[in-house]
Amino acid sequence: MIPIEYWLILSSLLFAIGAYGVMTRRNAIVVLMCIEIMLNAANINLVAFSSYHTVLHGTADASGQAFALFSIAIAAAEVAVGLATILSVYRRYQTIDVDKINILRW
Amino acid sequence: MLEYAWLIPVFPFVAFLLIAMLPKKTLFWEDGAVYGIAGAFGALALSVLVIWQVLMGETLTVDAPRTTWIIVGDFQIEFGIWIDQLTAVMLLVVSVVGTLVVIYSGGYMHEEGEGRRRYYAEIMLFISVMYGLVISDNYLQMFIFWELVGLCSYLLIGFWYTKPSAASAAKRAFIVTRVGDIMFMAGIIILFKYVGNLDFAQLFSESTSHQVPSDMMTLATALIFGGAIGKSAQFPLHEWLPDAMEGPTTVSALIHAATMVKAGVYLTARSYPLLVQAPDSLLLVAVIGGVTALIAATVALAANDIKRVLAYSTISQLGYMILGLGAGGYLVIHANDPGGYAAATFHLMNHAFFKALLFLCAGSVIHAVGTNDMRLMGGLGRKMRITSTTMLVGAIAIAGIPPFSGFWSKDEVLAAVYHAGEFDPVFFLLWAMGIATAFMTAFYMFRMWFMTFAGEPRSDYHAHESPKIMTVPLMILAGLAMVSGFALFIGEGFKGFMERSVEELVPGAARETLGDVAVGIFTDPLTYVSLVLAVVGILLAYRMYYVPGFDRSVFAKGFSGKLQRALENRWYISKFYDDFAIRIVYALSLVADLFDRYVIDGLVNGFAYLGGRGGNVLRRAQDGNVQRYTSLIIVGICLLLILVLYVLPWGGW
Repeated sequence: MIPIEYWLILSSLLFAIGAYGVMTRRNAIVVLMCIEIMLNAANINLVAFSSYHTVLHGTADASGQAFALFSIAIAAAEVAVGLATILSVYRRYQTIDVDKINILRW
Repeated sequence: MLEYAWLIPVFPFVAFLLIAMLPKKTLFWEDGAVYGIAGAFGALALSVLVIWQVLMGETLTVDAPRTTWIIVGDFQIEFGIWIDQLTAVMLLVVSVVGTLVVIYSGGYMHEEGEGRRRYYAEIMLFISVMYGLVISDNYLQMFIFWELVGLCSYLLIGFWYTKPSAASAAKRAFIVTRVGDIMFMAGIIILFKYVGNLDFAQLFSESTSHQVPSDMMTLATALIFGGAIGKSAQFPLHEWLPDAMEGPTTVSALIHAATMVKAGVYLTARSYPLLVQAPDSLLLVAVIGGVTALIAATVALAANDIKRVLAYSTISQLGYMILGLGAGGYLVIHANDPGGYAAATFHLMNHAFFKALLFLCAGSVIHAVGTNDMRLMGGLGRKMRITSTTMLVGAIAIAGIPPFSGFWSKDEVLAAVYHAGEFDPVFFLLWAMGIATAFMTAFYMFRMWFMTFAGEPRSDYHAHESPKIMTVPLMILAGLAMVSGFALFIGEGFKGFMERSVEELVPGAARETLGDVAVGIFTDPLTYVSLVLAVVGILLAYRMYYVPGFDRSVFAKGFSGKLQRALENRWYISKFYDDFAIRIVYALSLVADLFDRYVIDGLVNGFAYLGGRGGNVLRRAQDGNVQRYTSLIIVGICLLLILVLYVLPWGGW
């Protein structure tokens, strides 16, 4: 049985890595991938706490895992929309560098 | 039967809706006069039934059917009807004069064309809300109708709204009466504060009205009387009524002589159970009435506009009624005698008939001659036999020559004032003012009659008698002006009848028999004093305005010249108000204008400027770089977390 702290540290690290990537990477696809990493960090948290519930109360509660499954399904849909958006942006501007796609301002 | 009295205002209101809404083709004769006459007759018929029931001794006051209008928490505002002897008198006046005026309008307003629809709609609305005012059973309901009659008065004074003088007269009437209305409202708010209810049934019952401290009762009743000062054109708010003569003469007859201006007197009479608890207010009522009667009568002496003579005469007679009510209250308190109250309401009824008659006659004259100025008339008597005869009847009635109606009621009022003098000597002074007014009334009424109908024409006009639709109402009203005074001696007598509505205030008062009333009038030397003065007034008018050769130039110089000019300028009261308005109100307006321009607008524009400039600076943050937004969001979340997790617990929250 791996203690809950390990999972939480792993989850935090993944989240931080993802957030760092979202803030710094120029390639829109990599930004999208980083968002996925952040989502999965949250999923790990959900599953970890679900299992921790059993340890704490002695009874099983699968709602955390069910949430994780929902989250994965929604992430899949989000990737589809995100990639389609990036494709459209590329057709319009011939680039997917997020620093250059900045006309939505002032 | 009486519980159906609420239907009375419904008839004219339906007529109003029909006239206002129907397509033009279905308006028929005179653009809607048919509906107006039908509505007025419906209300008249029902009113007569109600009055008959009241004559039979039935009333519907405390236990009248009521309907809930507004519910606020535990508090309910209810609407209901209140039918007693006072209501019956007002119903009689409104229904008879209202119906006759609508019929008369069929001839008088013939030349107005398209405007007639508006005229009939407004006049039916007025009749409807006037009935509503009369049958109200609480101050709030009364106040609502009170404002509505004011609105109709405004609309009808400004009937010829393209004429600047009519438009400004309408505004003036509206604003001046509004001053009184605010006082009325303040009065009923004070009553509400102490009693928690505005129903007459509650306010007039012994146990409730004692909840009001006596000084507050004085204030409340004085303020309610303030409403009467505005509506009944009493000094110092009387100057709107002569200006209101800018409206059609039918409107002057109905609204500004017979009904709406009586609402103030009605309100004062209705509030009697409260007024008798506040002798100071009663004194105010009496003094205002006496002063108004005298001032208005003096101005009428020098007026040259036929309608203005009648307008000032109306103010003066309203002053009589108010004076009678004030003195009557003293009699109720000190002598357990409701005679003054009955006399004032009696004068209210008689005056409605003869003053409506006089106004409609004046309308007939104006219709024929096309001017209001009596200096341009003269010699009309031969051409307008019916008008001149009926107007003579009206003039005799108001001058107080027996057996016409004015004599009986005016005399009763003066007798009541004189008797109140036993309890406060100021009433002797007021009585002297009343007697002087009676003398002047006789003089100026006959001055008007002689200037209009006697002698030779003083300008070029082709006068002819008015059509039957106008002369028949004149003859009916002339008949009423002749006989309505005898109401004093029919059945239980008018006094006995009116005394019933205040019998709780005068427990066990001795009822005068009809014989006593008659003997009282004819054995009282005061009767002969006022009668002789009236005759002298008429003879003086005859000498000055009928017999040729009277040199009127004495009124041009010296003291009498000054007096003459003061009278022609209405004692400069109107001028004072104008100056007041120009100087003080203009200065106030300037201050308000500056305040509005620099403080209010400055604030509003300042905020707009601040927002614009601030936005200009802040929009630089929106640089379109999504990653910078993300970074800012994450930094923000981190700061919030630090705040919640470390700073707030550290601070002790």
